[in-house]
Amino acid sequence: MAVTSESDYVLPCGRDVEEVWEAIDLSDEHTRSCPHCAAVRESLLVLREATKEMAREEVEPPSDLVSRVMSAVRADVRRSDVVPLPGDGLARVSTRAVAAVLRYAADGVDGVRARGCRVVEAPESTVPDPVIEVELSIVITAGRVTHLAYDEVRRRVLAAASARIGVRLARLDLVVSDVLEG
Amino acid sequence: MGVAEAAALDDATLVARSRDGDMRAYEQLVRRYQGPMYRLALRIVGSSGDAEDAVQDVFLTAWRRLGQLNDDGAFLGWLYRTTTNQCLNVLRKRKPHADTELDEHESPAPRTRPDRAVEVNAQLDALQAALRGLTPEQRACWVLREVHGRSYDEIAEAIGTTQQSVRGRLARARAQLAEVMAPWR
Repeated sequence: MAVTSESDYVLPCGRDVEEVWEAIDLSDEHTRSCPHCAAVRESLLVLREATKEMAREEVEPPSDLVSRVMSAVRADVRRSDVVPLPGDGLARVSTRAVAAVLRYAADGVDGVRARGCRVVEAPESTVPDPVIEVELSIVITAGRVTHLAYDEVRRRVLAAASARIGVRLARLDLVVSDVLEG
Repeated sequence: MGVAEAAALDDATLVARSRDGDMRAYEQLVRRYQGPMYRLALRIVGSSGDAEDAVQDVFLTAWRRLGQLNDDGAFLGWLYRTTTNQCLNVLRKRKPHADTELDEHESPAPRTRPDRAVEVNAQLDALQAALRGLTPEQRACWVLREVHGRSYDEIAEAIGTTQQSVRGRLARARAQLAEVMAPWR
């Protein structure tokens, strides 16, 4: 197939290298008589042979490559309690570290104490833009908390996720797990 | 599960098991494909150290992203894409002058093919040297197609371009390489 961008390789006879390549095994009248085509065809035949040699060449990877890969995989599994950070997906943060930051943010609201915080990567999370989902259980102190406190917790936790960790929090399930007497 | 038994399992089964956290299944996949991926990387980046690092990164990344692979049977194509990308990234990050430096002591001529004719060795060395004269994308297209026999479609996806552009790059690569091989005709 002749593409315009191949015009650099047009031979004086008007054919281009790629046409000669495509007809390399069907030596037609023109190729037999045209010195330009014949020369290019010879070069292409040499190239084809050298390419076959290259494909046959079984350069083996270093003998410890499998064990190195598997050590890295095992180390990765040990750290598997992690969610990705923005970027190439290779930098990650432990869910425990994320939970600690989010709990601290919730604690800043008067009358609220964070208890459990479960952090998971959201299904819509992608490699450059990680997204997390969080289930946060809190304990409130009766009498010190108004209905505005829940919005405040939500606002602070969302802000902490994006400002302090750099991930988007798509879903925050807030559960009041206990009410303490004030 | 014995090694022989595991070796007979197809990719899709091993991928599904790996996704469930079965590291022995994943190790089988690594053993199965480390060779072709290493050779691909070596031909694109031209240095064994960089090729090793690239392949190690590719298999670790693949392990982490198994969840994103929709078709378990498509693992090999996915590896080819990831390895190609990784190699092109290595080359983009490499300082321009580092290229020649690496080439000096990365001529694997005599040690891998002691039994072959001198002329064949010389041609292969000339081809290897000529490959370094191509742009990284041309080289990747040519190696994927001519040495690893991948489809145009797959190469286009690996390079992030169209089939038309892959064909164009291949044609230019082929013309340039043929020119270098001319003294042997």
